[in-house]
Amino acid sequence: MAEVDDGAAAPVSEPLDLVRLCLNEVVFVKLRGDRELKGRLHAYDSHCNLVLGDVEETVYVVDEDEEGDEMVKSIHKKSEMLFVRGDSVVLISPQSST
Amino acid sequence: MASQLLPLELIDKCVGSKIWVVMKGEKEFSGILMGFDDYVNMVLEDVTEFDYSGNHTKLSKILLNGNNICMLIPGGEGPTAAAS
Amino acid sequence: MENGTLTQGEGRDPSGFLSDIIGSSVTVKLNSGVVYKGELQSVDGYMNIALEKTEEHVNGVKKRSYGDAFVRGNNVMYISAD
Repeated sequence: MAEVDDGAAAPVSEPLDLVRLCLNEVVFVKLRGDRELKGRLHAYDSHCNLVLGDVEETVYVVDEDEEGDEMVKSIHKKSEMLFVRGDSVVLISPQSST
Repeated sequence: MASQLLPLELIDKCVGSKIWVVMKGEKEFSGILMGFDDYVNMVLEDVTEFDYSGNHTKLSKILLNGNNICMLIPGGEGPTAAAS
Repeated sequence: MENGTLTQGEGRDPSGFLSDIIGSSVTVKLNSGVVYKGELQSVDGYMNIALEKTEEHVNGVKKRSYGDAFVRGNNVMYISAD
């Protein structure tokens, strides 16, 4: 072997390995446009296209109350399964570590 | 003709000296250029980050993504020096 | 110096700098202004980033923390060595 990196200590040698370790686990995904997803990661590719199952989506929207003051409201949606196009992904994190 | 200077040759001449970076959005950086790559991702040292709101933040050493760079000014001290 | 011969000193060009700061604590700023502070596990050619013990800061306020976090490279404005 040419070079034995500290392989045992570092199972994550490139960033996408972290996503690979999340397969079949519940992940938290932050998307562009103040959206967040929580669901089981069934599949991903190098573009960060994702397939998530049993998903809860949270969308944050700025709303005005009766006095005209701005306040952030969150909307929740549930889906059995969905596909996320990679270009909207900002962050992926294993849910167990959040 | 022989004396034509390619854009990246100009940047290469700036390595080791101060440079002023203007981003596509409302953000600017000034610092010492330590190196760069083909995408003009840049390593900068003793950096000041200038915000839209007039804030500035000091950073010791950064890798700046080339994707959002608009303009590079060799020897530039940043927007504060340009304004005075 | 010939065209294209970039300074190759350690920690001077982007890849040298990255290999220098792997394992140390860094600040990653996104184009949206959101900041992530954590231990840098790895980076790839797209500037995708894996962070450990990550804190998310929005407008200077700590919002969340993650044990591990993958940040997609296209959102990254800069990586700063702390």
